[in-house]
Order: sequence, then structure tokens, then C-alpha cells
Amino acid sequence: MITGLKIPTCKKMSIKEKIGVYNKMKYVYIPLISGNDTNITISVKKGDYVYKGSIVGKRKGNFRIPIHSSVSGTVVDYEEKYTSNGRKVKCIVIENDFLDAIEKEYVNNDITKYTKKEFLKTIQDCGIIGCGGSGFPTYIKYNIDKKIHTLIINAVECEPYITADYVLFREKCEEILEAIDAIREINNIDEAIIAIKEYNTELKEIIDNYIGTYLKIKVVLVPDLYPMGWEKSLVKYIKKTDYERLPMEKGIIVNNVSTIYAIYEALKYHKPLTERIVTFTGTNLKRPQNVMVKLGTSASEIIKKVGGLNKKNATFVAGGPMMGNSIPTDDIIININDNCILVLDEIKESIEQACMRCGKCVENCPAKLSPVLINESLKTPEKLKKLEPMRCVECGLCSYICPAKINLREKVRLAKQELRKEN
Amino acid sequence: MGPFIKDKNTTKKMMNHLLIALTPIIIFSFIKNGFIPYKKGYTNIVGLFYPLIFIGISTLSTFIFETIFKLIRTKNIKEALKNTYSIFPGLFLGLILPINTPIGILILGSLVSSIIAKMLFGGFGKNIFNPALVGRLFIISVFASTIMSKGGYLNPYELDAITQSTPLTNASVITGIGNYETLVRPYGRLLNIFIGNIPGAVGETSALLCLLAFIYLTYFKVIKWKIPVTYILTVFSITYVIGGSNDLGIWYPLFQIFSGGLMFGAVFMATDPVTSPVTPIGQILYGLFLGILTVIFRYLTPFPEGVLTSILTMNMFVMILDKIGSIGRFNFKIALIPFIVAWLLIIGLSFGIAVTLNKTEEIDPNFSILSKEINQNKTTYIVTQKGYSSTLKGQIIIENGNIEEFKILDQNDSFYSKIEENNYIEKLKENNEIDTVSGATITSTALKNMIKNTLNDYKTGKKENIINEEATKEPKPTFEIISETQIDEATKEYIIKNKGFSGDIKLKVTLTNNQIKEISVLEQNDSYFHMLEENNYINTIIENQSNIKEIDTISGATYSSKGVKEGIIKLLEQVGVINEQI
Repeated sequence: MITGLKIPTCKKMSIKEKIGVYNKMKYVYIPLISGNDTNITISVKKGDYVYKGSIVGKRKGNFRIPIHSSVSGTVVDYEEKYTSNGRKVKCIVIENDFLDAIEKEYVNNDITKYTKKEFLKTIQDCGIIGCGGSGFPTYIKYNIDKKIHTLIINAVECEPYITADYVLFREKCEEILEAIDAIREINNIDEAIIAIKEYNTELKEIIDNYIGTYLKIKVVLVPDLYPMGWEKSLVKYIKKTDYERLPMEKGIIVNNVSTIYAIYEALKYHKPLTERIVTFTGTNLKRPQNVMVKLGTSASEIIKKVGGLNKKNATFVAGGPMMGNSIPTDDIIININDNCILVLDEIKESIEQACMRCGKCVENCPAKLSPVLINESLKTPEKLKKLEPMRCVECGLCSYICPAKINLREKVRLAKQELRKEN
Repeated sequence: MGPFIKDKNTTKKMMNHLLIALTPIIIFSFIKNGFIPYKKGYTNIVGLFYPLIFIGISTLSTFIFETIFKLIRTKNIKEALKNTYSIFPGLFLGLILPINTPIGILILGSLVSSIIAKMLFGGFGKNIFNPALVGRLFIISVFASTIMSKGGYLNPYELDAITQSTPLTNASVITGIGNYETLVRPYGRLLNIFIGNIPGAVGETSALLCLLAFIYLTYFKVIKWKIPVTYILTVFSITYVIGGSNDLGIWYPLFQIFSGGLMFGAVFMATDPVTSPVTPIGQILYGLFLGILTVIFRYLTPFPEGVLTSILTMNMFVMILDKIGSIGRFNFKIALIPFIVAWLLIIGLSFGIAVTLNKTEEIDPNFSILSKEINQNKTTYIVTQKGYSSTLKGQIIIENGNIEEFKILDQNDSFYSKIEENNYIEKLKENNEIDTVSGATITSTALKNMIKNTLNDYKTGKKENIINEEATKEPKPTFEIISETQIDEATKEYIIKNKGFSGDIKLKVTLTNNQIKEISVLEQNDSYFHMLEENNYINTIIENQSNIKEIDTISGATYSSKGVKEGIIKLLEQVGVINEQI
């Protein structure tokens, strides 16, 4: 049984407009962070000229994913800037020369003609990481000997407001299907399944237009439940199977549709992951729309471009309304895992009332946790351990559903910290 | 911190839904316990609104007690008036008590509910036991006899005109498991029990309305629906097996789930969010064990209506059930043991009770033979059988297998007069299968059983004489002159007693020259005796003493007025006044 809840989608406001493009920024700020790791080797110095796609830094340690410049221009400085995780991160400041010069043109007409080794090297060199929010290096998912029998393309996008994946799929459908089939071919995968929400019939029609020749790709409509886009729920719904840590245990790979498009560009043009579609939306934004943003751009510039705010007092959220973080300012730097900047009317913290133990948080938790009991046992670690708060994926459904407006996700986060301290 | 969208549902909205679901139940109680008795003339205008007054007082009481408590604690009026859903313990308490609970006791119970069971545990959300149930337990365990002497669960109409007990009390005095005639027929049809037109606590008789409330509350996701569903299904399954193996139809398990406030308890009390499990597995186990306990209480203990006691008992295990329920979500094996225990108990109880009831049907614990005298073909029995409010003692003479004579030597049943009015004894002698007398169902069932049991002994018992001293004891007269005092030459003062509705009425009567000068009531126990005072009945008797036999009784207090009137007639007869004057 899939645990989840139908929640309002709020997607209409940003879905109609075509993908906008913004490249007027004078400076980009390339954050020296990969995943949560800020241990980055910088490979440029002040005054260096960089092409669009030049490597400016590389992660130390295991997952060696390079960081690329998103524009061509001159390295002018280092500066600490806010990113979506709410912390200040050291960035390389590059002055844009507006030429978008690249070091070497490359086009590959048949992207299925990669060996697996070449494929892995290409996506590693192009810095492809999970665009759905995890930031997990994609080449690691594929770098295994085990037989992969199913590739699931996650286009569920179950967070309200966000339409980035939807419009990308709508406008780049042909390319995405081509990439899926190439990945399937290269990795000898039996079938590829595209998962979209059941109400996205329009998108289904568009895909059906192109899918004819791809016999091993099929589309599955998944129920309109949150968090249906969570890998575990998706695998459970589509393949009727459970896994412990990674879908790979069952020979399954799940990729976000944005990641697939990034792989397409990497295979076709050797183009590194330096830009992505970000949904700028929210009740307090004048013209909500999706924008193709070069990584390192400040969100405030784009907000201005899409018409600015309706009301002066606003709450800014990086990410969707369920899992996103509130950010103190709109002057944050967009990075690979940012799929949405949400601008809402100012939200005042609601007052938590007494819990009446209605059990809704337990009933709805997709990770089968008991948030109310975790909250009750915050001070008793032995009890806490048995409740396994580590399983929490922080989807926020418990806080969403709570009639007493208790922020249960925060309590579970506290429980996680408590247990980490214990260990 | 996120999430930045929240569900529109709030605690307050859920509580409002609960109030909406309770409204039809309150209205039903008003119609059944106030409007109908008023319409039929069994009560006055106060009685018309009494159910609402009753529920209103308990609701208001818990509100006031809780507010005062918070005021003392916080010393801040604003804080004290903050909504902590203080009306609910009182509202539920009012609905689950007998209508004849005196108001003082009701308020005391509300105090226990709100202060002891709720606030001392830490207030809303912190209490372990359901506050309303704690209040009720307190009232019933301390004041049960007071409440029962005032009429218990019966409203004025039921008290005066139909007089029955609640279906489960009735079931508990029946021989063996009973049948449709003895269990359901006294209340008309099963439909009547389903609708709730039966004696019972103020607001918990209507299974139909509870079912509708369940649908409403489940639709709006207010209650933990798994609890009532498993609870009711468990009771249904066990009683289905019990009924089935005793050749009773599907009506029997339905009768069991429609009566005894099971539906109300399952839908409203067992789902009280604060005192029930939060985990789905915990909720299912909770429902299963509630069902098991209720069956145990109903069949194996002297307390026939075990719903509320079961819930209160299970409240203690909520923490354990939630522990099993939370860990069991990752590792179901942990929950397996309690499930197996529950299944074993369900199977054991179903077949165990079915078998024992089958056996005991032959021996009626309410029947006993005091003496048996065999004289050739003629056997004279003196036997007793438990009736409604007393033990009936009867003499039955059987000759060649036929009942030759049947008479009642002693009884003290409240509604025995109905038996006499209907000439029921004579009818029974002819045919032991005739219908019971409405208004004295339990007494008539007892009489039927008395004959059945005696005939049974005649056929199967040992053929030897039994002699018991009890048999020859003179019955206690209902009327008695306790004392007689000569005041002066012409005046005499008598203290007499006669049977009223729920006990003896003691009167002091002063006669001067054989004329009644004064009557004063020394002692009485009847719930509606006040109606005599309201109607000036004593003065009517004094004024019309020459025609005393023609004075009407008071409707709504028939037995009390009858007791007074007939006591005085008997006194006048004994001192010879009536013969002289009339």
C-alpha cells in the first residue's frame, strides 16, 4: 500500500509560459560546494580567463565531480554568498563577457554509440549530478556490475508549485526520449518507465506523439499523492517491491527527468551541467514562470526580471513549499539542486497547540514513522532509537497534516540530531 | 521553517465536526426522554426539557470547573478562558448517564471528570483515561443504588407506562441464552432497538444515529475509524458464533451490537483521540481487545453492560499498544504475538460461551423449589422465581401432568398490578405460550418460567418429597399498621405503611371521630412523589374522604398515588370506618 496524501498542486500559475532565458547578469558566483561538501580544490586564480564549461574546481575525496563555469569571462574575486541551504558558501566570482565562448565545439549525432566506460567518463566529466534535489553523482549510480533491468524516469514532481520538470519535458520531449533510449541501450537495461502524475494527461499526449519508435520505453501514470516522487514510493508503486537503502539493490535506477536532459546534453555536445530550469513562482510574484538559469546567478536578478513582488513583505523559499528551506533574502545563488524559488505572502509562524493524539501524522507518514511518539520521546534516547527517526525523508507531510499545527518534521529532525549525538 | 503550506484542518474544526455529529443524538434524547413523555402526559413542562437541562448542566459544569482550575493555576483570565475543549467531558458524561441521576451527583461527577481525570493529568491531550468515563465510573460505583431507586435508566414514560429494563439487563434475568421472544419482543422489533426507542442512558440508545455519526466523522477524517470497525466486528463475530450454535438467527449478534450503548461507545468513546492509540496497528489491536473485553463483561460477569468499562480498562494499555504499533510498522513480527492472543481469545470465547450456554439452559439459576409434596397422582409445589424487583413465590399443583392450580403466594414486583388486571395467572394456567403483559414484561416472563421450570422438574426430577421451612413462611403484607396512639378521647393517630413505586410509603394519619383530620408523609422513596404534592393529592383525599374509593390516581405518579390512597382505604377498613360511613 502506498502511503501518501492528496495535497493542493498550485501548479497552474507557472505552467503556461514557455521557458524564459536569463543571461544578462554581469557576474556569476560559482558556489564551491558539491552536495553538502565544501572541501573543494580550486583550479583557477584571479585574473584567469575561463570559457563557458571550463573546470574551476573539483571535489576532493571520493566522488570527484568537477565544478564548471557557467559563462565565459574573467575570474575577478572570491566572495561568500547565501545558497539555498541557508548558509553562506565561498563562491568564485566571474565577470561575464556575454560571449558564451566554449573551448571546443563537439556534436555527436548518434548518442547510442558510447561504450559504458565512455558513458561513465562523459557524465562524470560533465559534472552530472541528481537534479531532483539529492545532488548524488549520477555516474556512481551507473558504475556497477550488477544487471540493471529497469530505469525509472521520475517526472512526478509531487511538490506543489514546481513545474520545472513538467515544462522541460513538454518542450524537450524528443531529446529526453532519445537520451532515455541511449542510456538504456548503453547500459543494457531491459525497460525504461517514465512516471508522471495521473492528472498530467496533456504531457502524456505529447510523450505519446514521440514514443512510437521507442518500444522499450513506457509511460506509467502514478496517483496524485504526496510524496509519490520519493524513490521508495515510486519503486513500490511501479515495481511492487521494497528496498533497504538504494533502488540498485533490486536492479533499478531512478533518475530525475532534468538529470536525463543533462545527460542528453553531455552525450550530444559534451556540455557540462552549468544551467538548469528553475520555477519562479508563488502568490507574491507578479509573473510566475520557468526560467533557464545559469548556475551562479543570483535569484534576486531573476525575480526582478519576472516582474518583481506583489507585496513588499514576502517569504522566500528555496525549493517547494513542502521540503524547501526558507531563505532570509532573495539574494541567493542558484545551484544545481535548486529547482524552485517560491515567493509567498509573508507567513507568520503559527502557534503550536496541544497535541490531541489524532494520529494523522502516523497514518500519513510515507516512511511509516510515528512522529507524535517521536515527539513524546525526545528526552528518552532508548525509546527514540526504537522509533527509528533516521528513516525520515523530511517530506514534511506530518507538519502539513497536523491539526494542532505542530511542526513535527522539526521534532523528528531534533530526534535525528539527538541520536547522532548518542552515537 | 517549512512546510509553507498547511492543511486547512484544525483541532477546532475537528471538534466542531464532533459537535455536529452529536447534535442529532442530543435531539433524539430530547424527543425520546422529554417530548414523548410530555406529549403522552407523563411529565410536566420541566420534564419536557429535562434531557436538555441534564446534558446542559454537565456540559456547563465541566466548562466552569476547568476554567476555575486554569484561573487558579495561571491567575490570568485570558489564559483561563482559552479554548481547551472543556465542554466535551461534561457533554459526554451527560449522554452516558442514567436520566434519573440526581443533579447534585451529576455536578459532582462533572467535577471528577474535568478536574481529576483531565486537569490533574496535565489538561487537554495529556490524560490517560477518558474523562467522561472516569466521571461515570465514579458516579455509578458510589451512587448506583440512589440512582436506581429513583428510576435508573427509565424516563417518565417508560417508568409509568411500559416499564422495562434495558435490553441487556432483561437478557441477564432470562433463563439461558434466551430467544427472539424474550430478548427482542419486549421492545417490539429489532428495528426499535436499532432506532433506539428503548430504555438506556440519556444519549446512547440510538444505534442508527451512532452509525450515521460514524459515517459523517469518518468522511471528514475526524475519528480513528479502525477502532469502532474492529470493535463492533469483534463483538459481532463472537456473538454470531454464540447465537448460531444456540440456533439463534442473525438477529442475535445484531441485537448484541445495537444494545448496551455499544455503538455509542465504539463511535464516540473508544475513538477519543487523547486516550486511544495513534498507530494503525495499535488501533486495530485496541478494537479487538475492546470487543473481547465487552463479551467477557456481558457473558461472564454480573455486569451486563460492559462497553464503557471495557474502554476504561483498555485506556491503560494504549501506551503498550502504541509501542507495538510503532515498531510493528517496520517489523510486523513484533505485533504478531498480541494478534495471535486476540484471535485465540476470540475463538475461545466464541465456542466456550456457546457451549456453556447450551448446557446451562436446562438449569435456571433464578428458580428454586421450596417444597414438593407427592400424593399419589397429585404433586404440590411451592417454588420461587426471580421477578422484576422481588422474588415471586408460587404454588403449583400438578395432577396427571396437568396444572390443576396455580397461585402466587408472595411477590413485591412494582408492576404486579398489571398482571392482576390482565388476569394473566389464569391465562397462563391454560396456556404457557401466551404473550407477556406489556408493562410487566419481566414479571410475566418470570411467571412463565416458573411454570416451565416446575413442569420440567415434574417430568425429570426425583420423585421424592422436599420440605423447606421457607415454604410455610407467611408472606409479608404490603400494608401494615405500625403504631396506633390514642391522643384524646376522640382522636387517634396511626402510623401506617403501604407499597409505593420503588419502596414503602410511610404515612401518619390522624382520625378524629373517625374523620381524617391530617395526613403527613413520613417516608417515601419514589421518583415522582413530588407530583402528588404538586397536585395537592393529600388534601384531595382529606376533602373527599367520604368518596375515597372514587378518587383518581395521578397520571405520571400512578403507583405513588395508588399507594397512598389504598393505604388509607385499608386503614379505614381495618378500623371499621368505611363500613360505618358508606
